[in-house]
Amino acid sequence: MKQKVLLIGGFHKTYSLAKSLLGRKYDVVVINKDYETCLTMAELKSLKVIQGDGTKPYVLEEAGADSSSIVIALTQHDQDNLVICELAKKQFQVKKTVALLEDSRKTDFFYKMGVDSVVCATNIVSGIIEQQAFIDDMMALIPIGNGKVHISEIQIQNGVAAIGKKIWEMNLPDEVIICCILRQTQNIIPRGDTRILEGDILVLISDEKHEAEAIHCLISR
Amino acid sequence: MLKHFFENKIKKQENMYVVVIGCGRFGSQMANILSDSKKDVTVIDQNKNAFQKLSPSFGGLLLTGDALDLDLLEEARLTQAQLVVVTTNDDNTNIMISQMVKELFGVQQVIIRLYDSEKKEIYLEKGLHVICPSLLSIKEVSSILKDDTIEAMIEGNI
Repeated sequence: MKQKVLLIGGFHKTYSLAKSLLGRKYDVVVINKDYETCLTMAELKSLKVIQGDGTKPYVLEEAGADSSSIVIALTQHDQDNLVICELAKKQFQVKKTVALLEDSRKTDFFYKMGVDSVVCATNIVSGIIEQQAFIDDMMALIPIGNGKVHISEIQIQNGVAAIGKKIWEMNLPDEVIICCILRQTQNIIPRGDTRILEGDILVLISDEKHEAEAIHCLISR
Repeated sequence: MLKHFFENKIKKQENMYVVVIGCGRFGSQMANILSDSKKDVTVIDQNKNAFQKLSPSFGGLLLTGDALDLDLLEEARLTQAQLVVVTTNDDNTNIMISQMVKELFGVQQVIIRLYDSEKKEIYLEKGLHVICPSLLSIKEVSSILKDDTIEAMIEGNI
């Protein structure tokens, strides 16, 4: 049987999420307050669209919340997302609830209230923009664990002091590990005595606070 | 003079500190009555003009801002409040504020006004005192009609 996913509120995120979930053979239902938005959504094939306030129990019921395995609240208002998730959990016994959150300081509060997964988009996006704008040597960044841990790629360019050094000689912070070195066609899982060479791409896993320090350590000349 | 000062101070400590969030018709009247009955009151509303509804004799503090903002809640000294009344015009906002007030600031007594009586699942378990105007009105009507069956039906509903 197809797993059913309920998406409430939102526009661009909801649209692309619905599209991707439909592609992965989920049964997707979208709830939106705005009629025009609903019309746009309805253009997606085999997507069910319901116009209404997703924070109202009867709307959720109509959308079949009780038979959904995942409910994702994507409205712009934190309070609406919280209420949607609480209703889904308490009244409709939905297994997994996901809430979008604007104010990152309320993340713990949301978890405490029983939301299974809290996504603080503003935090993640601003983090990426900051990294992209200020650290040129970094190529990609994936925040995980609510943005507390980062995975990043760093290219070792010509003239960097780290070239030729072994990893244990580098004085990297304890909260950072180099989990992989991409060298031409090879993928190396490094050990303490692996040498860093010019042109290497290092994949780092780091604590958010120590990432900048580690990058500085690796790219200083 | 000194005696008076101490008396005042002791009196102040005994005073109940109440925070009213949302200064609409209900919130403002509630705040007026609480203030008149010698309680320390702080009223929060997003809109400065809302405070015009308070009576001239109102002697509490006014805070302008969004009560979903943690900084503002901290400014309202919520940890010291014995009672918080949440009466903004949005049910979901009320629910979130009252849960924050209870969970993050440990306020014992939280009264919340909800227009939508259907959202009972959330508030039943959280131990919040919920006031639902439509249910209250129905209750009143049933008492005017002296019809117990209506009242019994609502009791089952709440």
